[in-house]
Amino acid sequence: MQHKAKTFTVKQSYLIAIVFCAVTTIAATPLRHFLDLANIVMLFLLVVFLIALKLGRGPAVMSAFLAVALFDFFFVPPRLSFAVNDVQYLVTFAVMLAVGLATAHLAATLHMQAEAALERERNTHRLYELARDLAGTATQEQVAQVLVQYMSGSAHSATLHLLDVDGELPSLGHQVALASLAYMAIKQGSLIDTSQLSDVGGHTLILPLKSPSEVRGVMVIETNASNIKASNNIDKKQFEAVANLTAIAIERLHYVEVAQQTQLEASAERLRSSVLSALSHDLRTPLTGLVGMADVLALAAEPQLENVYNAATSIRDQARAMNNLLDNLLDMARLHAGKVELRKDWQLFEDVIGSSIKLLKSALSQHPVKVVLAPDLPLVEFDDVLLERVLCNLLENAAKYSAVGAPIEVRGFVEGEYACVALRDHGQGFPADQIESLFTMFSRGKSESSTIGVGLGLAICRAIVEAHGGKIKASNCEGGGACVTFWLPLGNPPCVDSEQ
Amino acid sequence: MTPANTVILIEDEPQIRRFVKEALETEGWKVFEAENGKRGLIEAGSRKPDLLVVDLGLPDMDGVEVVRDFRTWSTAPILILSARTEERDKILALDAGADDYLTKPFGIGELLARVRAVTRRRLQGLETSPKQCFADVEVDLSRHSVMRNGVPVHLTPTEYRLLGSLLANSGKIMSHRRLMQEVWGPNHTESSHYLRIYMSHLRQKLEIDPAQPIHLLTETGVGYRFEP
Repeated sequence: MQHKAKTFTVKQSYLIAIVFCAVTTIAATPLRHFLDLANIVMLFLLVVFLIALKLGRGPAVMSAFLAVALFDFFFVPPRLSFAVNDVQYLVTFAVMLAVGLATAHLAATLHMQAEAALERERNTHRLYELARDLAGTATQEQVAQVLVQYMSGSAHSATLHLLDVDGELPSLGHQVALASLAYMAIKQGSLIDTSQLSDVGGHTLILPLKSPSEVRGVMVIETNASNIKASNNIDKKQFEAVANLTAIAIERLHYVEVAQQTQLEASAERLRSSVLSALSHDLRTPLTGLVGMADVLALAAEPQLENVYNAATSIRDQARAMNNLLDNLLDMARLHAGKVELRKDWQLFEDVIGSSIKLLKSALSQHPVKVVLAPDLPLVEFDDVLLERVLCNLLENAAKYSAVGAPIEVRGFVEGEYACVALRDHGQGFPADQIESLFTMFSRGKSESSTIGVGLGLAICRAIVEAHGGKIKASNCEGGGACVTFWLPLGNPPCVDSEQ
Repeated sequence: MTPANTVILIEDEPQIRRFVKEALETEGWKVFEAENGKRGLIEAGSRKPDLLVVDLGLPDMDGVEVVRDFRTWSTAPILILSARTEERDKILALDAGADDYLTKPFGIGELLARVRAVTRRRLQGLETSPKQCFADVEVDLSRHSVMRNGVPVHLTPTEYRLLGSLLANSGKIMSHRRLMQEVWGPNHTESSHYLRIYMSHLRQKLEIDPAQPIHLLTETGVGYRFEP
């Protein structure tokens, strides 16, 4: 019935009310001989009540007046005249009118409340449906589609504009005014209604998409301009609820994406490290065999066959050189992936400098190494295996690029907030124009040098030192020779109680 | 060297096995090969070897497990073969009872030097003289005295314990953990910076060039070694 009543236009409602009053009058006319006038009043009041219930306030008020008029004209003597013989009927009219109007008011209010409750229930149901549909979405496009579907029955349209990683709204790039309002809404965390702003035309709502962790973008609700009535009673609460649901859906999609990305990275990392360790094992095993068997050959040939001995030892040296290249390549691959786990410990430069020199004993056999460490050098936090790699690479370079017999100097000292190691050789130094690019991968001082090495060494040194939060620099010394210096942050070394 | 000395070589790569075997045989060792851990442990059980050489990367089981298993019933020295990237495993193997390691690739000279070092004391018998000399230093363990060029050197008690521990395991690599345990006791195995500082003091007092030591050597990432 409610739905049916709703379909009447205003004009029709009034017409129906008039018809009902007329019918009542005609039906009551033959009954006036059997019924008291008071009971006929009741019939009219019943009709007014029914009209109020079904057709609303306006027709009911009208029919209250009409009923009084008809009652007076057709039933109160003298009949067919508005004149009244008995003054007491004026009281009847007044009561009749008052009861009619009160009934109209009450019934109409009830009617409106019922309508409103029904509307709320419908909205709740639609929100529930929206939430259910959003829960099933797997992409942002689907979210937008669900919103379009939700808005399709109304005079509004909703569009989503999401923040990208830089905190920009790329989809609003060309709409400057709207974009600035959107940023404002995001900043304030509350909706902006453009009808309250004098300088922007149209009626648009901008709602921030607030998810539990952060604001992820805005939802713009535009109302069809031709539908004035709809734009006048926009239910902001309803739209805020829609925006919240959307924000939660987008947040969920975001975390799904993050989880997938993490999983992808983890499996890529597993693959990379297993490839690296397989490569490392598969290449090192034949090299180990090569070094060992060349040694066997050299030992067997030593006394008599000088050329065999020389060939065997050079096979061994080449295999070792190849092993160093392999070490460098694998280290670089690991460092380049940025996934090297530093095993830092508080220790002294002395240890690692001493072990590096010993490790390179044969390469340094032609170069006296002088180590000068400042007596106030404290404990420094570093990964000794990796730092040994840095020192070995630097010492090897120094030996490689300086003449036989030329000394190499290693100095350790404190400089400001850093513990510092400087290595100096007495070779020809770095080409002045290439000092800056020395530490980039595959760069070498001289492009066609006869000295072996891929030029990875210095790049590895830089990667290791930077992983420790330090820096490394190359320079040419006064009086010739190359100098490479690296700095590691001092930090707060643990104190060691001294003992007598 | 007595001809009866036997060694079990556990290594899965035939090429490496081949030259290690040849090298050891030139020194008079009787070499028995095994290509995996299980086989190696069975061989060891029946041969009762005087030395075990184990590769850390075995196909069937972890080399550290082999070391642990062997150590439960034998005190014979164990030499580890490992790749450079296996620092953590090296320490595990040393703590499980291995005596020393060789990093691949290694030459025969290094191999034989290590083998001699880890077997020296066993072959000499466990008797060690209370007097030990290296470079210009003379240590008399019975009298708690350290002389350098005939001049007494003052060592603190901790320094003396550290030196004693290194001398007692001469030629053998000692992990940080093990040295900490021997010098400071079983409850002080974590703060290894103490060890580094005292090692530095010892070098200052006993080495000619402390930054380029000849006897008190650093094994980066693993520990220290005294080389006579």
